[in-house]
Amino acid sequence: MMEKTPIIEVQHITKRFKGLTAVKDVSFTIREGGITGMIGPNGAGKSTTFNMICGYYPPTEGKIFFRGQDITNKKAHEYTNMKIARTFQIMKPLKNLSVLENVVASCYFGHAAAKNNREARERAMEILQFTGLYEKRHVLSKDMGTPDQKRLEMARALATKPELLFLDENMAGLNPAETEDAIRLIREINASGVTIFLIEHIMKAVVSLCEEVIVLHHGEKIAEGTPEQVMNDPYVMEVYLGKKEAPHAQSN
Amino acid sequence: MNEKYVKAVRRYHRNLTFALGVILLIFILIPLFVKSPYILNIFILVFYMSTLSMAWNLLGGMTGQNSLGHAAYMGLGAYVSCMLITKAHINPWLSALLCMVVVGLVAGVIFFPCFILRGPYFTLVSIAFGEALRQFIINSTFFGRASGIGLPFKKGNSFLDVRFTSKVPYYYIGFVMLILVYLFMKKIERSRMGYALRTIREDEDAAAAIGINPIRYKVMAVVVSAMVAALVGFFYASYTRYIDPELMVQAKSTESVLPAVVGGAAYVEGPLVGGLIMIPLSEFLRAKYSAILPGINMLLYAIALLAVIRFRPTGILGWYMGSKVKNFVDTVILKKPPVEWFEAVEQERSGRKEA
Ligand SMILES: Nc1ncnc2c1ncn2[C@@H]1O[C@H](COP(=O)(O)OP(=O)(O)OP(=O)(O)O)[C@@H](O)[C@H]1O
Ligand SMILES: [Mg+2]
Repeated sequence: MMEKTPIIEVQHITKRFKGLTAVKDVSFTIREGGITGMIGPNGAGKSTTFNMICGYYPPTEGKIFFRGQDITNKKAHEYTNMKIARTFQIMKPLKNLSVLENVVASCYFGHAAAKNNREARERAMEILQFTGLYEKRHVLSKDMGTPDQKRLEMARALATKPELLFLDENMAGLNPAETEDAIRLIREINASGVTIFLIEHIMKAVVSLCEEVIVLHHGEKIAEGTPEQVMNDPYVMEVYLGKKEAPHAQSN
Repeated sequence: MNEKYVKAVRRYHRNLTFALGVILLIFILIPLFVKSPYILNIFILVFYMSTLSMAWNLLGGMTGQNSLGHAAYMGLGAYVSCMLITKAHINPWLSALLCMVVVGLVAGVIFFPCFILRGPYFTLVSIAFGEALRQFIINSTFFGRASGIGLPFKKGNSFLDVRFTSKVPYYYIGFVMLILVYLFMKKIERSRMGYALRTIREDEDAAAAIGINPIRYKVMAVVVSAMVAALVGFFYASYTRYIDPELMVQAKSTESVLPAVVGGAAYVEGPLVGGLIMIPLSEFLRAKYSAILPGINMLLYAIALLAVIRFRPTGILGWYMGSKVKNFVDTVILKKPPVEWFEAVEQERSGRKEA
């Protein structure tokens, strides 16, 4: 039997910023229904890759397909209508709006946009319960700390009812307990049928969540496979960790 | 337990309605007691300048796009409606609708390209637009050049022609316009468009990420805002019966910004609060000191603006929202229950609807 079309297929994408080549000829696929991770040292080009797939800017070269359809030149605002949502590594809360209003705004858009204020608020309340922000719903989002703002990023993305969710370092800056919560939340979202692609530095999270991991280094893909395979790859060990020992993956 | 919430919420709504009713009644009764045309004129000025400021606030406050061209939309609205009335003999009420459509279209066509570029282009073009329009009219014989155009003076009053000898009907028409535009803005604020505009104000990338097309919504905002300004222009022309290109000078555009900024640009009510304070103040200063020190009112206006931006960037309402005064008004006068009670009642209601 033929394999199912991947939900995302990236073909030879390159991104050049003036003189700097941030991503160089990268290709990979994302399997529908799974959790795929992307790792790599700082400045490896992870966010740049992610931003190209999400339409934030187009690749200089290469093509991106969503369920077989070419979306290389789609605009960022067209994505939620295709049931794709994203978060930002540098959080972008709507600072002067309350947490509830932040999420209500998202409920009004995307493929399943709420038709009126009542529906938008009801749905926002559900999302807030689910992401553990309910108690803070009347707080201005600029007055919250990093962990809650990270959650809000996720809540706003979920409110557009995505089938494919992109998370850019959604656990950076969280303490171990908060990381555990985040991992549980991501599992739950995935279990509800949402395909997830995430960038993460926290190895423990990557190992416990992902079936597939892609490793970037200096803008190039240097390895892919199961977390196990990737972390035992001698090249990954060398360049990614800068030392010849395996990442502390087994420490959980 | 739930009974208690429902009762409290109902009582609060009753108190609020009562308080608003009293304020409304005061404004309705004022012309019965105030006979001075000078004072009535100030009220009319408050009504239409606050309305113009609400139009500005849709862009400046809700969308975060600073316009300095609202006098021009108002002026263009006034001109279009005057031309329609005097040259095409169209009924003034109909001319109001038509001038709104024309000005909305013009604003949409001119500003669409500015929004494709990010940055301060919109503000710059809005200034240029006002000045270009003014120069065009000064040099156009059709539009009466610098001497302006007048609406026909006839004897007697006519509601159909929006022509009255007394100021009182204008007072009421201006007041109704203010209320209607306020309700309209309030409606926008809670709608999809309102959330889109505020999301764009906070962060355009975040807006695009949830599916908002920033260009589309910014164009919508500028069109609606210009249409409301045109309505004010129609009212102004009907009231003063005479318009000239001075209507569009840059200083007038700035005057439309002040009530919103002083009152609190983040709130739909901001222009109302700011207008009620700033416009009588300005008129008072103009009347009192302009013979001695011409321009003193503009100077004080500027100082007030700088003071607000420096010390209270969120305006009077921004201060009020976190103040003890609000706390007092809410708990003692209006008996506002905690927000959770409202939510409980809301939830109860939607639950019953589904069942
Ligand atoms: N808009 C931009 N203009 C110019 N250079 C950029 C731009 N965005 C990213 N870069 C550069 O591209 C390279 C890759 O950056 P990118 O943000 O993709 O890395 P990353 O893998 O996400 O790193 P981190 O783990 O720190 O988030 C870096 O050298 C960065 O400075
Ligand atoms: Mg990054």
